[in-house]
Amino acid sequence: MTDPVEAQQIMLATMAGALVVMFGAIYAALFAWSRLRKRPAWMPAAYLAYLCLAVATIVLARSLHLSGFWSTVVFVMLFGYLLAPHAIWHLCVGTHESAHKTADTDSRNPLNGGQTNE
Amino acid sequence: MMAQAVNQPMSQTAMRGKLNSAELNAGQRLAVKYFSVAIILFGAQILFGLLAGLQYLMPEFLYNVLDFNVNRMVHINAMIVWMLYGFIGSVYWLVEDESGTELVGAKLANLAFWVLTAAVTVVVIVYLLVQTGPGEQKSLWLINEGREYIEAPRWADFGIVAVVLVFFYNVAATFMKGRWSGISGVLVLDLIALAGLYLAGMFYSPNISMDQYWWWWVIHMWVEATWEVLVGCIMAWGLIKTLGARRKIVTTWLYIEVALMFGSGILGLGHHYFWIGTPEYWLSIGGFFSALEPIPLVAMVVHAVYDSGVHRFKNSNHPALAWLIAHAFGNFFGAGVWGFMHTLPQINLYTHGTQWSASHGHLAFFGAYATINIAMFYIAIQKWRGDVFMGAGIRHAWRWKWALALLNIGVVGMTVALLVSGYEQSFVERALQGSTWAGYFEAQRGEWFVQGMFWRQIFGYVTAAGTLLLVWDLITIGKGETRPAEKPTEHQAQAQAA
Repeated sequence: MTDPVEAQQIMLATMAGALVVMFGAIYAALFAWSRLRKRPAWMPAAYLAYLCLAVATIVLARSLHLSGFWSTVVFVMLFGYLLAPHAIWHLCVGTHESAHKTADTDSRNPLNGGQTNE
Repeated sequence: MMAQAVNQPMSQTAMRGKLNSAELNAGQRLAVKYFSVAIILFGAQILFGLLAGLQYLMPEFLYNVLDFNVNRMVHINAMIVWMLYGFIGSVYWLVEDESGTELVGAKLANLAFWVLTAAVTVVVIVYLLVQTGPGEQKSLWLINEGREYIEAPRWADFGIVAVVLVFFYNVAATFMKGRWSGISGVLVLDLIALAGLYLAGMFYSPNISMDQYWWWWVIHMWVEATWEVLVGCIMAWGLIKTLGARRKIVTTWLYIEVALMFGSGILGLGHHYFWIGTPEYWLSIGGFFSALEPIPLVAMVVHAVYDSGVHRFKNSNHPALAWLIAHAFGNFFGAGVWGFMHTLPQINLYTHGTQWSASHGHLAFFGAYATINIAMFYIAIQKWRGDVFMGAGIRHAWRWKWALALLNIGVVGMTVALLVSGYEQSFVERALQGSTWAGYFEAQRGEWFVQGMFWRQIFGYVTAAGTLLLVWDLITIGKGETRPAEKPTEHQAQAQAA
């Protein structure tokens, strides 16, 4: 795992590392924006960003000489990053819905004196 | 009673636009003191940063008068301490509001503030005046402990721990007397870690690997764990106050973020153990968990987009919200992009300890911590001026907007310039010359290195201009303003969502 990157590839490896995080965020942002505004047309752009993320990850993995077990880890993490915005989106919707339901219940409950911040 | 109730709004109106400490609670009055010292130290950080930057370009400048090592030390220590002052002030600012009761031990808290401030003053004077001579036990206790970033002598270490324990007592006892919330629970637990971890930086060992091993507990665990969580708590409270975000949502997300940050950040510590003589397995642990560290940031992106759609950024304090947004972006780019760029061991072999690290440090500290402290300063000044209007159309809005722009342009410019210099160091000194002494000097004579340092200095001046404008704005914003602030409520947020 720890063979250093070739001198000629330092720039390539660092830029690929930066692009992994950048495209990860762009994918997440476009995904969330498409769902929020109910614009499915944006979704292909989100997956295009994910594709760029995948390419950047592979370039990074190759320049870092990752192989064997570490290649598997890279693909598992790549798959994880594909699913992460979906999971986080469900969490967003879930937490907001649950908060609204609690607020509705609280407003109808005459016993709720608002003694706690929860 | 009736007369009081009627008169109170009139007196509030009369005092609006003027600094009115009577309107602040005990915690907030103390917070104002912490914020004031924080701003002074922020100025010191910039001043000594400019001097140190200038010494890269003119090595003879102030040689033997105010040497580079002293300027750099004061620059970094001032940054750490002003951020701590900002965090402590922020917690004192919110503690009575969040707990619904008066601050417990206010006198002790005030005493701790003056003790800490006196100690910081003495330490800085010693930094500036007494930094040459033999290194012995006495110098560890009285002059300089020698550990980078936390050079304060040992007597000051004990003082810092004592003050943080007083701070912990004030905050925990206040919540115990009043009411608990998700934010306060996370905050109190985090303060235990904040005080406890500092002890790891006080061990003494003649073995440099062991010494560095524990030293990183303070540096990494503070910055990438306890500070992040502390900032998460302040941000959560700030979002409730500025956007009227729902408490339950904010709290739930605080738990999620804390779990993600601790899950990846604690063992992410391994990326500091690559080259200090620790066992080889740290290369794998550090590399793997560092690769997980961007996950909380991706989670924040999805949640920020979701919340911006729900709340539409209607708020009562435009400068504070602008700095909270700067915090979200700064944290993402500084900690996420700039961190991950060089955190894996195959790359870090070439980049650690070069200007590449300084590039990451400048953007990450500014983006993740300076921004949120500045947001809190604006929240505080709004209340101190009698809860004045600080929304769209506020007078002299150009000041806070230009301060925001200059500070961000300045720091981003320094970051990019340092990256150019750092790349040359990594390539010439590390990759080509194999980290030799000759390579170290050859890299620093290189044209790209020197140009990077030149532009860093230029953008340093831009940052300094932004800081001056920020201070001017903080002193004057809301002065003479008579319109009251429109407070966002959860009900409004619900209406916006609908």
